[in-house]
Amino acid sequence: MAEDAPATRPPDFEAYWTRVDDELARYPAAPAQDYNPLRSTAFAASFDLRLTSIGPYRIFGFLSVPEGSGPFPALLVTPRYGSVNNPPHDDDRRRYVVLTLMHRGQRLADRPFAAAFPGLLTEGIEDPNAYVYRGIIADCVRGAEFLHSLPEVDRDRIGITGDDLAIMTAARRPIFAALHVQTASLLFYRLMEARARTSSYPIEEINDLLRAHPEREPAVARTVSYLDPLHHAPRVRASVLLPAGDPGALDGPEWLHPLADALGGQTETYGVTHEGGTDHDWIDAWMARHLGVDLRPRVWRID
Amino acid sequence: MRRGPAERHETSTERPEDFDAFWSAIMAEAATIPLNPSLEPVPLRSTPEVDVYEIGYDSLDRVRIAGWYCRPRASYLPPPYPGLLIVPGYISEPTLPKSWAKMGYAAVGVAPRGKLRSNQRYNPGYPGLLIDNIVDRHTYAYRGFYVDACRAVDFLLSRPEVDPVRIGVHGSSQGGALTVTTAALRSDAIRCGAAGAPYLCGFMDAAELTHSYPYEEINEYLRLHPEREPTVRLTVAYFDGVNFAPMIRCPMLVYVGLADDVCPPETGYDLVKAMRCSVDLHAYPRCAHDAGVYWEMPKIEAFLAEHLRPAAYTLHAEPTVG
Repeated sequence: MAEDAPATRPPDFEAYWTRVDDELARYPAAPAQDYNPLRSTAFAASFDLRLTSIGPYRIFGFLSVPEGSGPFPALLVTPRYGSVNNPPHDDDRRRYVVLTLMHRGQRLADRPFAAAFPGLLTEGIEDPNAYVYRGIIADCVRGAEFLHSLPEVDRDRIGITGDDLAIMTAARRPIFAALHVQTASLLFYRLMEARARTSSYPIEEINDLLRAHPEREPAVARTVSYLDPLHHAPRVRASVLLPAGDPGALDGPEWLHPLADALGGQTETYGVTHEGGTDHDWIDAWMARHLGVDLRPRVWRID
Repeated sequence: MRRGPAERHETSTERPEDFDAFWSAIMAEAATIPLNPSLEPVPLRSTPEVDVYEIGYDSLDRVRIAGWYCRPRASYLPPPYPGLLIVPGYISEPTLPKSWAKMGYAAVGVAPRGKLRSNQRYNPGYPGLLIDNIVDRHTYAYRGFYVDACRAVDFLLSRPEVDPVRIGVHGSSQGGALTVTTAALRSDAIRCGAAGAPYLCGFMDAAELTHSYPYEEINEYLRLHPEREPTVRLTVAYFDGVNFAPMIRCPMLVYVGLADDVCPPETGYDLVKAMRCSVDLHAYPRCAHDAGVYWEMPKIEAFLAEHLRPAAYTLHAEPTVG
């Protein structure tokens, strides 16, 4: 059963994001794709990638391209909440062109802005036009555009994985065949409701701010409403995998129900087992099926 | 993929003859450096139950180390408090251990050198830390990193509200490694340790068993410099949790996922086999780097509470991530 619903979509939602698109279009990506011998293997070449996003701001990506004759299916990994993202995993590098992005403020994209953790989630949050996540979404969209432009990429087989950033990127650029949402890491989904149900960081950053400045709640609520995946979901065209946690949890099935209903693409839910190996292999298989590659399970057989 | 049973794995880690002398010298050098602790209240992140502070202290090579210190307000729970050191994973920033403080612990979340706020003088980057100066044990990244975690114990001991005979350490992944090394190097002060998915145990075996980061950094390095393998192997032997294990005297809890592709479970078993202290090992089939924390978290809380006796032990902490 769906829970009460959620935050209102701002009346100028489309105009807000159109302005971001327009601003991004004014800056050429100016890619610098430098071969990285340390991370290259016999089966995949590795590159340090730098792109320009709005600001203008220079962002970073780990790019891996399989050896051999493409085009290859591709995978965009949007940044997690934290200062560091790992380079692409060996299992993915064997099957996909993989781009793992570092948004502004994260390591390797931390000049001139080095984000604080905790702190990023509330950076500029009282003004939608100054909020740091306006730029971060643009960073992810820029990465999607770049991946889509690569001649090595099969444009009909591009997948994306990540938290809200992946949903918003898939909504702004409907180039993806498959979207895996890391539901346990959602930041902006029904955020003003979610914050009342948790004291865990990073959402606790909002509680910290509003405990000190309760009068700022309307402004904060307005800003984050532009980022609520619920309002982006109808534009998603990809097939979507929504892993669902325990009933009653912030990634539980009833909590996710409005999002599942709103998504424009065909949506499948998966009840997580909390066995990390089992869950990984199920999700890996889902993405592999949608992008037409072999499965690479990590749960090994014990002889 | 096929593997033998993790519990039957035999480590290739060898303990250098001068291992104890090597670390005695480092700890003696650290002891000559005044701690110079600082404590700044952070009202923004404090709650009616918990006071939050940003802390700093000096460590090896005079590197200034940052951390979060969370303790119960005296109006919520009166002192003294047991001390708890929460140590971070490889790519994680230290979280604010507010939920542990709410349970009654005076808790430090430390940011060893290279982490945000502790990276002004040393910043090898991520990826990069694992292989920074890996051909020289005297300048290898983890030499200072391990000491930074130990110095957080000194910070706790400097606080009048902390009961000095009730200090524990806990973390997962790299936090599991730091739990092991801190319990070993500060066996005089640590009363118990709970280590999840312990990283930095059996470095070279782990790198052979997995292509997941961070160990993949070693594979990358040796692919480019295969002739350095013996030197790398020698260096990491001085930093291997398996070699620290016999030094631990307090009770330990170790938990692993039997499908952990990041920190292979074989190396967790190797760690436990090398321990001489009382140790409980919990192994979770089909669990990966989560190490079964969904089921293990209540056991961690109970283990720490049994040994450290916090006042509000019926409350719950945030699940530990590596």
